Amino acid sequence: MFKLLTTVALATTMAASSAMADITLVVPQKPGSGTTVWTEIVAKELEPFLGEKINIKLIPGARDIPGFNKWHNELRFQDDHFMVSHGGNGVSFLHQDVDYDYSEYESIGLMNLNIIAAIRNDADEMKPSFSAGSGMIPEAFAMTMLICGPNKSVDQYVDCFKDNVTWVKGMKGSERRLAFKRGELAGSRENPAAFKKHAQPVIDDGDARIWFHHGILDAANASHSDDPNYPGFQMEILFEEKYGVAPSGEFYEAYVLVKSFRDGLQKAIWANKGNPNSAKLIAALTAMSQDPDAIAVLATKVGNYDWLIGAAGDQQRDTLLSFVTEDTLRNLVKFSTEALELNSNYKPSLLD
Amino acid sequence: MEILAAILAGTIYGLIIGIIPSAGATTGLVLMFGFISWFTAFDPYLGVIFVMAVVAASTTGDSFSGVLLGIPGANSAAATMVDGFPLALQGKATYALTAAITTSTVNGLLWGTLTFALLPWYGSLIMIFGIPELWAFVMLALATVGFVSSKFWVRSLCAIGIGCFIGLIGMDPHTASDRYTFGWDYLADSVQIMPFVAGLFAVPEILKGLFGKAQVAKMQTTQRGQTWEGVKAVWDNKWDGLRGGFIGAFIGFLPGLGGAMSDWMAYGATTAANPNEKIPFGQGNIKGVIGPEGSNNAQKATSMIPTVLFGIPGASFAAIVMALFMYLDFELGTVDLMQDTQFFNSMFIGFMGATLLVCVICLVFTRWIAMITYVPYWIYGPVLLVFVTWACVQPYYRWEDYAIFILCSVLGITAKYTKFSRPAMLIGFILADRIESLSLQMTSLYTIDTLLQRPIFLGLCAAVIGMFIYGVFINKTRLDYS
Repeated sequence: MFKLLTTVALATTMAASSAMADITLVVPQKPGSGTTVWTEIVAKELEPFLGEKINIKLIPGARDIPGFNKWHNELRFQDDHFMVSHGGNGVSFLHQDVDYDYSEYESIGLMNLNIIAAIRNDADEMKPSFSAGSGMIPEAFAMTMLICGPNKSVDQYVDCFKDNVTWVKGMKGSERRLAFKRGELAGSRENPAAFKKHAQPVIDDGDARIWFHHGILDAANASHSDDPNYPGFQMEILFEEKYGVAPSGEFYEAYVLVKSFRDGLQKAIWANKGNPNSAKLIAALTAMSQDPDAIAVLATKVGNYDWLIGAAGDQQRDTLLSFVTEDTLRNLVKFSTEALELNSNYKPSLLD
Repeated sequence: MEILAAILAGTIYGLIIGIIPSAGATTGLVLMFGFISWFTAFDPYLGVIFVMAVVAASTTGDSFSGVLLGIPGANSAAATMVDGFPLALQGKATYALTAAITTSTVNGLLWGTLTFALLPWYGSLIMIFGIPELWAFVMLALATVGFVSSKFWVRSLCAIGIGCFIGLIGMDPHTASDRYTFGWDYLADSVQIMPFVAGLFAVPEILKGLFGKAQVAKMQTTQRGQTWEGVKAVWDNKWDGLRGGFIGAFIGFLPGLGGAMSDWMAYGATTAANPNEKIPFGQGNIKGVIGPEGSNNAQKATSMIPTVLFGIPGASFAAIVMALFMYLDFELGTVDLMQDTQFFNSMFIGFMGATLLVCVICLVFTRWIAMITYVPYWIYGPVLLVFVTWACVQPYYRWEDYAIFILCSVLGITAKYTKFSRPAMLIGFILADRIESLSLQMTSLYTIDTLLQRPIFLGLCAAVIGMFIYGVFINKTRLDYS
């Protein structure tokens, strides 16, 4: 038994060693995941402007929540620890039991982007099948409005969704893409970089077309504008063309809330408020965003998106929080629970 | 010269990782995140060669652990130990290892050539296999392992159930909420595969070696001459090796199924194809080594097909390969990359070069490495436990990983001594999530009528039923391995 205990202790000691660095970016995912890869690439470009080494600490867990919670509860109080979050964290913040709270942080920088949906040409837009998951909530809202039209209560939208949409559960991203390519799934959605890679080839082959996109959040005006890369396909524009009126009402406001929190915070770096190292990180990010070579590398590897740095990121966050009302939260939870059958909780604490 | 250096470095690194019990290709690739950026500054194509060399070499290196120690080298190379380890205890470690390595190499070269030479033409072929076919294939894997490969099929069924239950711990895909976590947040991210495999297979064998009846090969045996016998055995049983290679290649080709079931399916197919053996399976039948070893490298090669063509990983290791290539500026699945011949040449050279090189290295040194079977277990058993523990907590070093490792070890020891099939438990664990998600997808998107119009699906379903009937009522030479 002594031999056993000794070897286990030795193994534990071996495993506990880790490298130290000047700045640590906490990522709530495993190696090779989307945000991890994004962080590795950005960190590598950022290091020369920062003049310090950037360490990346991966804290994976279910729905990418535990890593963010750990940073919120412990690591953010260490001045060298910063958080990297993604759009899924934003959606979870609205309706799931999480500890983190964006209002307690300051933005180092974030990327604001759009999500585009495609549909196969042989599919019926009014009876689509689509991959389920909490990350697909904005798409569920958008297609429900496009299918069901204006002037309906949330209950009616829930019923309409259930009657018309085949919501396919248990699909990972890779399965969704392949099922869409194979024609098993009517619709799919991607961010702009992934859209070019996975959906555009199907469109180019004549098998699919652009369905809709959510638009790009304009934080200053608290509204979404059309995406110049896919003009005319913003959900609001399509809705008005089809039904003669602009989308409005409580269901639409819940849609604006959830799409903004996912796409407006698609990739974001956060610091605890008052972190003395924030300024140098913001300065480095600003310099990097103005360097043509660095931006060219990032455009190639992670896509060509606008950076909102420092105060601009804070403004984006404040705009998002202004969308949070009792009604939008309740309607988000109602639709998520009753139509999408997700475990979704109303969080009155977000109204404080 | 630089290319040769990259192949050599990748081969040695991959071989070391492969030899470490329970580690395997995925562990080796994850650890590469720490130094992959070096290739970006130097030459990213060398990075591609290195990565592919690691994949090939670690897959071949897996055999050592299974044969010499009775511990899976990786979760996708577990079946080799069933007959490989008894052969090692009989003093035939070099014979078993040579057969394993030769089969791996032959199938790696064969399927590597077919994969990379015909890559652009596979796209339309993949499209034939939809959700129903994948579902039926997963069920076939369960039937093969559960009913054909085990003597105690009722206990095997229970073991599959236990494995499935553990595999379903985590997130409920219906509601995206926690399931079977008993309030432990760590479990919401599922039981991790590494501690599960190591606990189930490695720890019971290490403890048996340390505290049980001594498991040392007889000193009167010699390793001399066994290398040639091993090569000859591969030729004599070439159809078993090629069948295993075909099974591995086919599973690798189907996106998302992963490699963990391929070697057990290959093993099951080998036992089913050889019902009247003088040496029973599980007691040192060389066919039980050659069959599953045929599948490993073939599966790794063909897993690259959906990964490269669509940017959709064919297995868990392929997802890590994709991410590593991202750092090197190669985005798999894009049109631009498909026109980069240097990239494809680098992949080909890396995989094939390492497959050959690792074979030469292993065949030269196998005789000497096999001497470990003459060494009393207590000398190296503790070191093994250290390495296995290290592999289990990669790369996060969480205390929860240690805890799960201990719990799975208890489960493994219990299963071993109560004759509940651990392979069946492992397959249940690995496939539970796939069964559930594919069932959900199939029932959402297909009706009975549309399913009846899919001949491949119907053929696979018939094979599942056939396997069940054969395994339960006909096969009398099932494996006594738990």
